[in-house]
Amino acid sequence: MLRVQFRRGPPDPALPLLLPVPEGAVLPRGAAEAGFRAAPGEVFEPAAAPRRLLLGLGPAPKRLALEKAGAAAAARFAELPHVALDARGQPAEAAAWIAAGVALGAWRFDRHRTRDVPPALLRLTAFVDDPAAARAVWEVAEAGVRGCLFARDLVAEPANHLTTRSFAKRLEELAEFGIHVDVLGRKRLTRAGFGALLAVGAGSATPPRIAVLRWRGSFDAPPVAFVGKGIVFDTGGISIKPAGGMEAMRADMAGAAACAGAMLSLALRRSPAPAMAVLALAENATGAESYRPGDVLRTLSGRTVEVVDTDAEGRLVLADALHHARGWRPRGMIDLATLTGAIVTALGHCRAGLFGNDAALMSALAAAGEEVGEHLWPMPIGESHRADLHSDIADIRQCVPPARGEGGWQARFIPDACHAAAFLREFAGKHSWAHLDIAGVDTAEEAHALGPAGPTGFGVRLLDALVAARFEEPDHHAAP
Amino acid sequence: MPDIAFVKPALPRNGVLVLPMTEGDPPAGLAQEADGATGGLLVRALEAAGFKGRKGQATTLHALGDWTKVVALGLGKAAELKPEAAEAAGGSLVPAISGDREVTVAADTLDPQLAASLGFGALLRAWRFDRYRTTEKEEDKPKLERLAIANANATAAKTAFGPLRAVADGVFLTRELVSEPPNVLDPAEFAERCRGLERLGVEVEVLGPKEMKRLGFGALLGVAQGSAKEPRMVVMQWKGAPKGKKQKPLALIGKGVTFDTGGISIKPSAGMEDMKWDMAGAGAVVGAMAALAGRKAKADVVGLVGLVENMPSGTAQRPGDVVKTYSGQTVEVINTDAEGRLVLADVMWYCQERFDPRAMVDLATLTGAIIIALGNEHAGLFSNDEELAHRIIAAGVSVGEKCWRMPLGDAYDKQIKSDIADMKNVGGRPGGSITAAQFLQRFTNGKPWAHLDIAGTAWSSKDQPTVPKGATAFGVRLLDRLVAEMAEEG
Repeated sequence: MLRVQFRRGPPDPALPLLLPVPEGAVLPRGAAEAGFRAAPGEVFEPAAAPRRLLLGLGPAPKRLALEKAGAAAAARFAELPHVALDARGQPAEAAAWIAAGVALGAWRFDRHRTRDVPPALLRLTAFVDDPAAARAVWEVAEAGVRGCLFARDLVAEPANHLTTRSFAKRLEELAEFGIHVDVLGRKRLTRAGFGALLAVGAGSATPPRIAVLRWRGSFDAPPVAFVGKGIVFDTGGISIKPAGGMEAMRADMAGAAACAGAMLSLALRRSPAPAMAVLALAENATGAESYRPGDVLRTLSGRTVEVVDTDAEGRLVLADALHHARGWRPRGMIDLATLTGAIVTALGHCRAGLFGNDAALMSALAAAGEEVGEHLWPMPIGESHRADLHSDIADIRQCVPPARGEGGWQARFIPDACHAAAFLREFAGKHSWAHLDIAGVDTAEEAHALGPAGPTGFGVRLLDALVAARFEEPDHHAAP
Repeated sequence: MPDIAFVKPALPRNGVLVLPMTEGDPPAGLAQEADGATGGLLVRALEAAGFKGRKGQATTLHALGDWTKVVALGLGKAAELKPEAAEAAGGSLVPAISGDREVTVAADTLDPQLAASLGFGALLRAWRFDRYRTTEKEEDKPKLERLAIANANATAAKTAFGPLRAVADGVFLTRELVSEPPNVLDPAEFAERCRGLERLGVEVEVLGPKEMKRLGFGALLGVAQGSAKEPRMVVMQWKGAPKGKKQKPLALIGKGVTFDTGGISIKPSAGMEDMKWDMAGAGAVVGAMAALAGRKAKADVVGLVGLVENMPSGTAQRPGDVVKTYSGQTVEVINTDAEGRLVLADVMWYCQERFDPRAMVDLATLTGAIIIALGNEHAGLFSNDEELAHRIIAAGVSVGEKCWRMPLGDAYDKQIKSDIADMKNVGGRPGGSITAAQFLQRFTNGKPWAHLDIAGTAWSSKDQPTVPKGATAFGVRLLDRLVAEMAEEG
């Protein structure tokens, strides 16, 4: 990742320069004429050697506007190895958050290229009035960035490289940051009765895992719990997916990656909040051992589930993971999952679906999302959504089968994201719980405001901001 | 349709008796009297049958004393008894008594408003559409002719029922329009039925293809051009605001595709018969206008419906066509099955230009995507005006027509950029209902506006307490309530 330094004094004239400009500031000659308005993320490059780039910040820039400016700069100066930032005259946090944006925007995933690797932006020197103050903000900002990029790296990794085993191994490496990591293998999962997770992972040559990540924090309270769907590859199983676009299913572990990234962020910035993550890792493969549509599974909670579609596996592994997390009596449970295509039909690619049973937690999540540019939209769990999951043979069915000609025109359209949320709610019990369906936002098809095309790391900075806003003080009113 | 009558409390000697009862409370008034008349058997038999008075519970006892049938009707907890609950109870009662001619409801201890609501709920549920049944056997037909609701203040209950009756008539008009088969209800016939509102005092204008062509309704006419049936636009005005209190009207706009084959982008055949109700938005607008006029609402309201049939034919519009809307903006037609927004575009622009309304609310069975997003319990609500959106949500909750707010935004608007025209008529699968709303927003001219996507709620595959399966008339009661709250207060 980008190396960032903060120095006093005028920028080194030999370096390409980034010059942040708040909206309304006096613009250098030619900028206004070229249509530059200093809006957040807007850039203007006048002819200069070394190169110079004006970064629009918008009016009264906050974190997100600064990050967008930095990321826009990184996109423009992507192939320059070392760049200077002149943040003199700006508040200390401006330099730090612009640097964070540069780091997010400069992220690349070149591990599997063996030739013609494009040069990358590696180093940023920020020239500021008060380097110590800037560094203090940067420590917090950097934690969020590193968590986010950790998640992006995991999501980008192909499924032959990121198996359940190697994923678990990468998580175990987080121990060096003070995170306690416990990985449950097949034997322990079987003994404890993770029936849903084991069924989903049964068809694969690499066995399922539950990884429990714990961060102690600095006060004695139940943790906030993140629960992540980590399907390292999703073929759909016996209900196999169409071939076109299936390669994208390597990203079906983006929820787990985001939870892990958030844990890393909390640890790096020594968050006082006790936190944990329960990550359900499995490959949904087709094989002789695969589970089938029609199977009835006994979940960890003891409840039985009728399988209708083996491609609705995410909710099954989450059912067990949520139940496992309940053992710590968490103050709040937030699960993240690339769960349904329906959420993409509903909300497209610029908002994730937000479901839950706790209005306060949901609005805190939505606010955290706005703060970091990861937008959510509240979605309903209606009575009929739960009623639709009635099973004739088990306690609940996992989803609603598609209509076979009957039921009229409406029956062709199934609110699967709502059904999935209604299903998960059953396994959250009475705990304060929210569910983020991130299927539309985990991967960007084109370059976006905070990075290049590819994995976005959606959720990491959001969870980090949520914890900072809501979970860093012992809460005496926490629900049991 | 049964008569709903409000009568003074008196226990009938025989026949069918309905006893509405709250949860956990002993019988009072006539119910107590009935219990006494049976020597306490009523209470004991209800206990034995597991009747608790819970909301929606209806327990039938046969041959109790001299009554052929006694139905105990659960109202839920007394403290939570609101008009909605009384309506639902009235609705739940209907299946239990539809084989009886005359029924007395002992609602003597209920607040007269609640007694009226109970009657309203029963009336809404008892509606049937039998126009095309010719061979149904007598014994299979519902027999209920009169529901006599006994109340301590029967006069007040009757007064409270007056406006509800008008709303019910609006609901029935909508249900009828939505249920009518598409070979009967074409745009011209639909417009003719709108003319029926004139006897309620609504001013009705009908525009045909010539007038619309002269105006430049390129989008609406493009949709209509494949059909042998001529399109119509109907403008209905209800001028109910008191003199000296004249106001900018509220505008209600409805999509009225009397049948939607999809056109050249033809739909799959399974379930296509349901596309007769692709005019349910327009149906709701007409029903709401009837309700408002029927109860003489003290508000100025205009209702506009765009009526077309979307057919594939040699004259049909093609994917790739570019049409010029009445607003002057051009649209590239990518998918001829995204026709509703084309019809609404012209009607909305016309509406805002002619009436300068204080707010426009459009209703449309617009997208399948809204069912994938929300299911069948909520309509999708899109709005550029916070206050209007909140009022619609609140109105919906109070009448049991729930709406769920959905987002709008530039990122979605970008999805309908066209390479050849000002916009295209679809923006792809992601956020499909949102991009449809973005399209409509371009025809609001910045005026306060809300859009209800009712594709999931206009038709019900199962019975609900006050809505028999089939056409729901979703929106009529909501719009009626919205007008009451927005334009009639003070």
